[in-house]
This record gives sequence, C-alpha cells and structure tokens, in this order.
Amino acid sequence: MAVLACSTVDQDRRAQWLRGVLDLCVLGLLARGDSYGYELAQSLQSAGLGTIQGGTLYPVLLRLQRSGLVTVYWREGGGGPARKYYTISAAGLAVLGEAAGQWAAFAGGVGAIIQERTAR
Amino acid sequence: MRHEIWLAALTDELRRHGVGPDLAAHVVAEAAGHLRDSGEPPLRAFGPPSAYAAAVADSVGGPALSTRSSVGPVRLRAVDISKRYGRRTVLSGVSLTVHAGQVAAVVGANGSGKSTFLRICAGLVGADGGHVELHGTVGYCPQAGGTADFLLAEEHFALIGAGRGVPRSAAAREGARRAAALDWVPGDAQARHLSGGTRQKLNLVLAGLGDPEVLLLDEPYQGFDRGTYLDFWHEVWRWRDAGRAVVVVTHLLNQLDRVDIVLDLSAGGAGVAA
Repeated sequence: MAVLACSTVDQDRRAQWLRGVLDLCVLGLLARGDSYGYELAQSLQSAGLGTIQGGTLYPVLLRLQRSGLVTVYWREGGGGPARKYYTISAAGLAVLGEAAGQWAAFAGGVGAIIQERTAR
Repeated sequence: MRHEIWLAALTDELRRHGVGPDLAAHVVAEAAGHLRDSGEPPLRAFGPPSAYAAAVADSVGGPALSTRSSVGPVRLRAVDISKRYGRRTVLSGVSLTVHAGQVAAVVGANGSGKSTFLRICAGLVGADGGHVELHGTVGYCPQAGGTADFLLAEEHFALIGAGRGVPRSAAAREGARRAAALDWVPGDAQARHLSGGTRQKLNLVLAGLGDPEVLLLDEPYQGFDRGTYLDFWHEVWRWRDAGRAVVVVTHLLNQLDRVDIVLDLSAGGAGVAA
C-alpha cells in the first residue's frame, strides 16, 4: 500500500511538472519534424515524460495553434482517415529558442537547491 | 463507453460549449484518430465528453463575439425607478436603457431588488417613483411558478400562444422547437409532475413564444444542469443576434464579459448601468 501511494504521489508530481512545460516539449518535438497527436504522445512517453492522455495533449495543441506557434494541415493516413499534422511556425521556433535558455536557468536553480542536501 | 457514442456525445457537448461546427468536426475527427491509433477507451484517453469539450472551448477562447455593428431602437427604458416596502427602500433612482440587439444583465446581492426591478419593468409591480417605457411585445420568465399545475406543456404553449396571437398548432410547433434548443422533449406530463429544472425550461419556452421584442428573464436557469445552462445562454445570444432586447437577472457573473450592459444593484439600491 505504501509503495502504491508513493508511486501515485510521484506520478502526480510529474504530471504537475509536465503541465508547465508540455507546450515547450511539443514545440521541441515539432522542431524535429511535423507530427500528429498520437505520435507526439508516444514520443513524449519514450522520452520518459510518462503517459500523456489525449484530453491533456490536444487542448495544448489547440492553444499553440491559436497563438500561431504551430500551423496545421490534414494528410491522408495509410488506409485510414486523414490525420491532423502540426508544423512549428517561425514564431514557434522563436518561442522555443527563448524558453530553452530560461528553462535551463530555472532547472539549474531548482537542481542547485534540492541537490545541495544530498551532496553533503 | 463505445467510441461512436462517446464521439457523438462530444459533438453535442462541443456545440453546447459554443465551439463552431468546423472546428468541432476537426476536434472530433482528431479524437477519433487518436482512439483508433492508441486503442484506448475514450474515457481514459479524454475523460467525459463534457469535460473534454470544456477544455477545448477554453483552449480556443470560447465562442467568437458577434461584432456589434449597430444597435437598434430603444426597447426598454426605465428611468429613476424607486420602490419601498414599508420603511425599507429596495430601489432608489435606478435607470436602465436597453436597445434592440442588446443583452443587459442585472446583478446584485440577494435582496438588492433585482427581481423587483424586473417585475416593475414587466408591469407586474408598480413603482413608487420613476417610469418605464416598453416598445414592443414582452416575454417574461419568472424565477419559479408561472406554470399551471394541471396543464400539459403543449396546453401551456397553446394558452400563452393565444395571448400573443399565435394559432394553436403553430404555438405547439414553436414550443417544441424552443424546448429542443434546451435539450427537452415535452411529453404528456402535467406541469406539477415536472422537475423544477424542467418547469423552468417550460417557463423559458413560454417567455420566447411568439418572438416578443423584449425578453425579461429572472434567473431562469435554476435547476438546470451545466449543459442546459450553456444552452440557455446560447438561446440568449440567438435572441440578441435576432435583434431582441434581453434583460437577464443573474447572480452568476461568469457570463458578464459577454453582455452589453451590466446593471449592478448591490451599491445600496442606486443602480449604475455600465
């Protein structure tokens, strides 16, 4: 039971972290190439960020689309219906570049504080 | 829940949340693709249709406001209204002007005189001072009551329709159409057997029957679930777009950025329309 509860807490915490950076992670993946929702979810999972549910991912994609950081197009899937593909825009690349530096500074600050204790 | 059922429910909920048909079709197609690719049950991947539709609506910023090109003629003008009950002053110097194609919200704490003000505008209660001009026909929806216990919904339509010059069969058709917009199919139950929320749907349908030029609605959504509450506001936007003048008494403030006029009665009875 204790182990279960502990892993639930870990999952909650990771979900909270992800909420703040999911849009940047999506932009980062799209900077490597166009993609669609399910493929993005799989890429995020294989990057070790855990399972991203569609109900979380697609609203983020809609916000990125609305703010002009990504553009979209529909492409026929192999045998199946069309898929919605996302492309990062020039504005999206600019935001990603700026945020990358800010994130490195932020993560460095967090790391410096919480690792100080274990280093002793 | 099977995919098709969940996707159909999502389509309905997106409409309720004011997501336009084109975008809604894209959102549903994308969700269908995700479910097919992942093989996950919809409730696990996306949650309940209403919650996912709400998240989508939030992400796209809600329904687009129709641009207010020009407002029509004055439909309701209440000037310097005052009202006392015994020694208690309920309203003092309250004024409100609503043009065709405008929605006014009357807000304020409990007991600030919101309902009294609306009833004065409707001519149901006399004011102690000031005057009200109404230009056109009026539909009024009370907070509760207003229905006849032993009549069916359709008999209400016929009765109120007759008062507004609408023939019985046309009133029945219009009533059924307005009920459907509120997700309600009137059956053969007498009004006394309807739930409180359904009775309020009946009241709201009656207020709109015969397409009056002025709609006075006194917190008409009591007992509505969240979905019907959104349906109600869509009905209000449709009335506005059709050039009706709408006054809504409300204590819920989350729609106030989308009305044209706010009359706040909480400031000690002297209302200020902003």
